[in-house]
Amino acid sequence: MNDSSKQPFVPEKVVQLMVDSIFKKNGIKPEEMKRNISDEQKQMLREMVNDLRKQVDQFNKGNNDITKSSD
Amino acid sequence: MTSYRRYDTARPGSKKSRQFFIQGKQKSEEHCCKPAPEFDTKHCHKCHKCDKCCKCTEQSKDKSKEHSHKSPFDYYFNGNPDATVLQDGDQVSSLDQESTELIWVKESCNIEVNTTDTQAAVSLQAGLELAIALVINIAIASSEQADGVSQELLQHVNTAQRNKQKIFIYNTKDARVTTTDTDLAINIQALLQVLIALVVMIDIL
Repeated sequence: MNDSSKQPFVPEKVVQLMVDSIFKKNGIKPEEMKRNISDEQKQMLREMVNDLRKQVDQFNKGNNDITKSSD
Repeated sequence: MTSYRRYDTARPGSKKSRQFFIQGKQKSEEHCCKPAPEFDTKHCHKCHKCDKCCKCTEQSKDKSKEHSHKSPFDYYFNGNPDATVLQDGDQVSSLDQESTELIWVKESCNIEVNTTDTQAAVSLQAGLELAIALVINIAIASSEQADGVSQELLQHVNTAQRNKQKIFIYNTKDARVTTTDTDLAINIQALLQVLIALVVMIDIL
């Protein structure tokens, strides 16, 4: 995991549990989901997630810089 | 220098008013000894009681006329008996956000003001929500299940946000002011965590 995930506002386990319980409640198995996605789609989704992660990191970094400069 | 910004990404007002109307109807519901199984003409539409229990008929004739109209509540529940996901309007997917900022600098010099770019943060948040819905829709074949899951996931993340900041600087020299929209930052981080948990679960990352 990268820098942004090292200091999460919501504990990581809480998010995992939440996602897992919502899937179970709706009767969805992760194995079925894996089968529904093609390799191309996986690649595209991977790029999308990495891109968003970079944007969030940049946003957080910007905020931190401002906070530091005001000290 | 005065700046005033307001971002409101709420859904159209017409949908909201309908939702509140339905909720109001639900609150007024009362149960009697024999609840009405269906909303037919033998049962009072206003109080949902059977003919024997309903006291509405004892009231004035004008009011009993009102009861003969089919209420929106009836349409709501009798509309689609095959619905798999029952929800109150569109409340789950709604995002209500307001950030107001007012900075007033008067009779001062050499003042430096730094503020968060709220608009960029809002669009980033919308992008993350879209990405979560997208991953769910691709991964889950059934669209009904997909809708249910993505709405439930975003519901947990959604928060009503009101951020109001007012800063007055008067008769000051050499000051530096920094404001940060912490609510937005936390929300964005939480959404990213949900997205990552999701893609890890389906072996994308």
